[in-house]
Amino acid sequence: MFLGQLWESLQASSLGVFVAESAWAFPTIESLHVIAIVTVVGTVAVMDLRLLGLTSRDYAVTVMSRDTLTWTWVSFVLAAITGLLLFTSKATSYMANPYFLAKMAMLILAGLNMAVFHLITWRTVKEWDTSPVMPTGAKIAGALSLFFWVLVIFFGRSIGFTLGIYE
Amino acid sequence: MSFSDQLFAFTEWLRTTSLVETSLSISDHPLSLWIASHFWAIPIMQTLHILALCAAFGSVLMINLHILGLTGKSRTLTQTVKRFQPWIWSALVVLIITGIGMIIGEPIRELINPIFWIKMGLVILLILLSLWYHSALTRNMVQWDMTLRARGGVRLGAIGLILLWCVIMFAGRWIAYAPV
Repeated sequence: MFLGQLWESLQASSLGVFVAESAWAFPTIESLHVIAIVTVVGTVAVMDLRLLGLTSRDYAVTVMSRDTLTWTWVSFVLAAITGLLLFTSKATSYMANPYFLAKMAMLILAGLNMAVFHLITWRTVKEWDTSPVMPTGAKIAGALSLFFWVLVIFFGRSIGFTLGIYE
Repeated sequence: MSFSDQLFAFTEWLRTTSLVETSLSISDHPLSLWIASHFWAIPIMQTLHILALCAAFGSVLMINLHILGLTGKSRTLTQTVKRFQPWIWSALVVLIITGIGMIIGEPIRELINPIFWIKMGLVILLILLSLWYHSALTRNMVQWDMTLRARGGVRLGAIGLILLWCVIMFAGRWIAYAPV
């Protein structure tokens, strides 16, 4: 299968071999990955709790979005780069691990949820921007986002305990 | 002596202390045995630990990036601190409880581990620095709201606290890789 070959050549690449064999590379990249994800989820949660109408109700939703979104994206890029580097070390093992696949699925769902929210619910934001009561669409987006990101972290941590046992 | 040599020496020393007996007696405790026999106990505690970190570090960023003028410009510092400060301390409680849970579950991995003790030292330093920084901030917050960014020491404190949190998270992950 073409993709299978891709994963194999990825982990056989000099980068993949380096991350896998270096004494410090994997733990260091993994530590940066944790810091990045903690920042992503920490800032996302601030926005989600506002969308749920649970906190910062005196804070306009558009302002809250502006205050958090830059940091969410910056840290997401760092998480994606470090995640990709970790992946290269054992690409075939990750692809065989159900928790890794579940984590990727949750990431996609979190992204879709965000896209739907910004393309549909966000269009009427002027009507509820400063309201303490959020429309149902915003509440659902906030709740789903928290749910998916909590699972991203749970599945992510589970990978470390299960990698290699599904091959 | 390289850093990893020093870590080895630290481990050797930890092995001569009564922490070994303490760890062994913790690992005989029913709670420890229960955790050891339940595969998901440690991953779930680690997940909760990281989620509490998200709440704490997210809040730390919102406060300190505000001080640096990088976010929250439409709010006063007083409002930002009031919104996010309580989350840091609540999250700290969860971090301590889940942290203790992980020690009970794997006492030797934690207590006979040089990086664990470095992390604990840094955590205590972080708590003391945060309390000190926060009290200086609250005493002067109203006046500082206007001139905050002009104050070098205040900026340095904000950057220092963010970095210290990062170093602690870094050390936390390295506990798993300590040369023991």
